[in-house]
Amino acid sequence: MPSEDILTYNFTTADGTACAIVYTDGVVNKQLLGDLVARPFSKERLPKESAEKLQSFLEKTLLFPELKSAENFQKAQTEILDGNSLLLVDGVPQGFIVGAKLLPNRAVVEPPTDVTVKGPREGFIEDIKTNMALIRKRLKTPHLRFETVRVGKQSNTAVSLCYLNGIVDEKVKNSIKKQLNGIQIDNVPDSSYISALLSPRKHSLFRTVGTTEKPDVFTAKLCEGRVGILVDGSPIALTVPYLLTEDLQSSEDYFISPFAATAFRFLRCIALFIAILLPGFYVAAQVYKIQLLPLGLTLTIASSIRELPLSPNLEMFVVLLLLEILKEASIRMPKYVGMSLSVVGALVLGETAVSAGFLSTPAIIVVALSGICLYTVPNFVETGSLLRWLFLLVAGSIGIFGIVLLSAFLLCYLISSDAFGAPILAPFSPLVPRDLRDTVVKYDIFSLAKRPKLFQSKNQTRLLPLGTKPEKTEADSKQK
Amino acid sequence: MNATITYPAAPNKNQTVLPRQIAFAAAFLLPVGKFLETPSILARYAGNDILLPALIRFLAESLLLLAVLYAATRSNQTLCERLENALGKGVLWIYIPFTAYYLLAGVLPLLDLEKFIYASFYDTAPTAFSFAAFFLFSAYFCTKGIKTLGRFSDLCLLLFLLPFIALIILSFSEADFTHLLPFFNTDFRQSAEAIRYATPHFSDVALLLPLLANCKFEKSETGKDAKKIFIGYAVGALFSLLLFAVFYAVYSSIAPNEHYAFAKIAQYFSALDVLGRIDLLLVYLLTVILFVYTCLPFQYATGLFAKTLGVTRRTWISAILNLALFFFTLYFNRYYNTIYTLISNRLAPVFWLFADILPLFLLLLPLKKTTKRKESSHA
Repeated sequence: MPSEDILTYNFTTADGTACAIVYTDGVVNKQLLGDLVARPFSKERLPKESAEKLQSFLEKTLLFPELKSAENFQKAQTEILDGNSLLLVDGVPQGFIVGAKLLPNRAVVEPPTDVTVKGPREGFIEDIKTNMALIRKRLKTPHLRFETVRVGKQSNTAVSLCYLNGIVDEKVKNSIKKQLNGIQIDNVPDSSYISALLSPRKHSLFRTVGTTEKPDVFTAKLCEGRVGILVDGSPIALTVPYLLTEDLQSSEDYFISPFAATAFRFLRCIALFIAILLPGFYVAAQVYKIQLLPLGLTLTIASSIRELPLSPNLEMFVVLLLLEILKEASIRMPKYVGMSLSVVGALVLGETAVSAGFLSTPAIIVVALSGICLYTVPNFVETGSLLRWLFLLVAGSIGIFGIVLLSAFLLCYLISSDAFGAPILAPFSPLVPRDLRDTVVKYDIFSLAKRPKLFQSKNQTRLLPLGTKPEKTEADSKQK
Repeated sequence: MNATITYPAAPNKNQTVLPRQIAFAAAFLLPVGKFLETPSILARYAGNDILLPALIRFLAESLLLLAVLYAATRSNQTLCERLENALGKGVLWIYIPFTAYYLLAGVLPLLDLEKFIYASFYDTAPTAFSFAAFFLFSAYFCTKGIKTLGRFSDLCLLLFLLPFIALIILSFSEADFTHLLPFFNTDFRQSAEAIRYATPHFSDVALLLPLLANCKFEKSETGKDAKKIFIGYAVGALFSLLLFAVFYAVYSSIAPNEHYAFAKIAQYFSALDVLGRIDLLLVYLLTVILFVYTCLPFQYATGLFAKTLGVTRRTWISAILNLALFFFTLYFNRYYNTIYTLISNRLAPVFWLFADILPLFLLLLPLKKTTKRKESSHA
């Protein structure tokens, strides 16, 4: 392997047998290799009388939990590139893979995209092993299974399928496995690549694969009968099947009273509609159907737009564009510049534009409200933002009729979308009454005793009444 | 690449529509079609006996529905499969005229919708092209199958109940139900005229027929399923009757001149002066269902025509049909009255034949295979 970062450390045993450790620089714990491989070997004599004795000696001397033999070059190469080390001993026809990885990782911290006040705060990181450990920490059951496949001709990224045996729908699991094995791509830098490659609708505006950065959410979804996918190098785990209602849920909903959770979900729902429809509605009402606005508000708007040089459509377009630019800039800019950007954006641009008579105050209020509302559903921000533009476009062109027509179109599009066996607008369409208990309305824990019917889990019970003997599942019997 | 997986809402993988979804379609989708012009037409002929012709027509449709339900639930094969088994290639002689019928049945709701859009969505007259966008939706919807329609019916539960109940509540303050009294005040011949002129609006079984024909009823559940669908239809009829009653109670003698009943029943609610026309938001929600209702006959026509041609992809058929419909509305919307008179007066027998008489022949379908069955694709 002619690469600078692949190094070879040569040493000899006490009887002069040549040995070598081949490893990738920067991802190996060199101290561990020195202490547990090179040092003991240099003090010992190798028993060369028979292959069995040599084998037994090596196994006793190399005290590594992750010790494997590599019979061919291909396997040895894969392991070295993955961060493991290869020990070669002169006269021994096989190599030994020594698991002494020391990959640079960041700490397990609360994910910035899913902050909670109540509930667990751990988040996934970029290392797949750590992520698997975070899941195992929460699901200490023999039914939890990881199946890792390698995806990416150049990146050789580990992608791990994660599920609860006996709870998951085997058809969904096998379908995803088959799809993962069929992926032929050079590089998988993030789980979003896998998400896009798995998606049954390649050009969909709506996502068809769920994402989360929190192990507690991930494990809860596994317990519902979903399949999880972890991708090495990505802190975002995937879950399938995905339902659109998941975006309205927050992990915190499960740690507070069901009444409060329901109220918050309704709030998010209303906020989402405001975020997407308000700018378009404001324009359509102003241009095509002024009756929709109360008289007082109509007069206020009329007085504020009287001397505006822009039409309502164009004005809203400009304000929304400004919001998108500010948002994009504030995400990319260094934190120190961010503060001044807020001042420039909010005060200078907003205030000055109004006082200069370039924009009206109601338009800025509408866009600000819409912008804030969209962030109540963080997983829907990208789609919501695009939808807002679409609604503004149709509202500006044909008014409320356009808004209603686009809504009907989106509904029909969504109801005909299936992903991994589940219609994404379920349990509303098709109606699955039992599964409605954890959608916009959140029932108490006792009412959610059964797993969602939609995922066709063999074992439907997740909560037995207090005092009931635990029932044996098929997976339990197999385990025995 | 995605494997075909069934989901519990449709336990049978060949099943494209469920009995529950047909019941919902009957209860929440079909009534919306009667919320535009039907109340004013009934009021024009029947006066304060507005409910009588509607009731008679609903009872007749109910009996017809019972007959079709009986025919549909007799076998574990769908009506479509049985029809194809019985007639073989001759089934095209059924599909072709029904395609023409659905195209005809879709004309009035389409023109009504166009007029309604111009009246309720705009303060000033929009350009004639504003309605063109509807055909994009219609073209998209026509490419979808019965399964999408079934799922939409599920969604109608929320989309219909919420705004309908709210509109009725808002309109109650201005409704004077004594206007409906005395009963049987109008000459029965007038009611008969109302029934005749409202024929195209009450051909519900014809609109449920493709759904019923594609539904596979589980043998053990046939009675229950048929009951569900029938109750669904009865509930839909009650919703329609309630709206007619409230409409007449609000408008009384000027009801014949008031079009688009559901957009107007709540407009005199006193709080609207302060809040703006928020009742229109409820109307707009119902309009989502109205869009689908209007596309329904065209979707059926597209499906049947695709079957006739033996193609599975309907994109081109749908595109050509909707382009033709666009030009049709563009040119003929000014002749609305002529078209309306032609369809509801001269062509009423066509509706009676296709919507009321021909479905009865389904009772004669043999239960067992008579010819080698071909692979059937659902409409």
